[in-house]
Amino acid sequence: MSEKKRRVMLVPCSGLGKSLGTVSREAAYEVLEDLRPDETGLTPLSLLVLGDEETRAAVADNVAVAIDGCKLACASKMVEESGGQVARGFAVLDAYRRHRDFKPRGIAELNEGGKKLAHALAEEIAEAVDDLSKDEEEEQDA
Amino acid sequence: MPDLPKKKVGIIACSGEELAEGTVTRLASLKVLEELRPDETVTICLPLFLAGGEQDRAFARFYPTIAVDGCDKRCAARSTEMHSGTPAAEIVVTDFVDGGDLGSGRQLSAEGMKAADVVAERIAETVDDLLGVRWDRRRGKAVEDVEQAEGAEAVGETEKESEARVAACACGSGIPVQKVQVNGNEITFIALPLIFERFHEQGKPPKDGTAEELMETVKIYTPVPEAEEEAYQEAVMREYARYWEEES
Repeated sequence: MSEKKRRVMLVPCSGLGKSLGTVSREAAYEVLEDLRPDETGLTPLSLLVLGDEETRAAVADNVAVAIDGCKLACASKMVEESGGQVARGFAVLDAYRRHRDFKPRGIAELNEGGKKLAHALAEEIAEAVDDLSKDEEEEQDA
Repeated sequence: MPDLPKKKVGIIACSGEELAEGTVTRLASLKVLEELRPDETVTICLPLFLAGGEQDRAFARFYPTIAVDGCDKRCAARSTEMHSGTPAAEIVVTDFVDGGDLGSGRQLSAEGMKAADVVAERIAETVDDLLGVRWDRRRGKAVEDVEQAEGAEAVGETEKESEARVAACACGSGIPVQKVQVNGNEITFIALPLIFERFHEQGKPPKDGTAEELMETVKIYTPVPEAEEEAYQEAVMREYARYWEEES
């Protein structure tokens, strides 16, 4: 009998002081709800900070993708702090460097540039989810 | 002269991404920080209590803090208490909504947006209440609580605090701290770099006449055990002498 398939847990930044945090969340929601709903789950940082056992286990037992809003990299650090490993890490700032035309503004509501940047980042994350899921399948088949 | 921070109220939102209520905490907090009480409030990202440094963990001791939670797990309140200090007040979104459809974490419904406005108003009222309370930064408690627990000795010190200094923005600039060896132990002194800067700019050299005044200021931010007062003073003066030499 094959092992239960692991999901890719998306761990976005929870920052509310910069539009980069909002881009990270919007990208995560797009992957979770639109692009790869069957392969992904969402991990709220607040539950990791609290040390919630169920959430820690979800991160440790599945594959984690951290999406950091700024250089403080809370999402990546919290995954590691919780006993998980960041299988793939994304930084919104790096995404912006790749897509200079999409300048994000706004926190409560992103401007058009922010929405486009989130979409571009979501596409990149979705590709990473595919790679990670493929790796998982190959491991299970082996 | 560097500003020692004026009294502000800290706001920490749970920001829970998986629930609409988490988004309500984030939007409500933002509204207070940007529109309703921009000059009186400051925030920090909750994960920085673990992912950041000592200066971030000093947040809730330094600022009387309102924890804004989406649900009864109370991640913001409990994590703040565990990693920083006891929140001065707590607000939970589910206490203000009656089971209507708030939308999703990604997109609030009209009802969700209305809930964010209601919660924002409640936060702003709480900010006003807390600004009327004297706050003991050494203990991270209202002076009234400290007086009840330990007598009135904190009152004189906390009165000075209303003159104090700057605030940090959302992402992690935090409270300046300095670690100093006292009797072989590493002690974290809150706001010490700014205190040194202020004394230096006032032309107060690291001599005996300065020590008492310097320690009185230090004690506003950092607890100094009575039995170790001499050792603390010696260590602080040693660090101040070093700072003075570097800056002069």
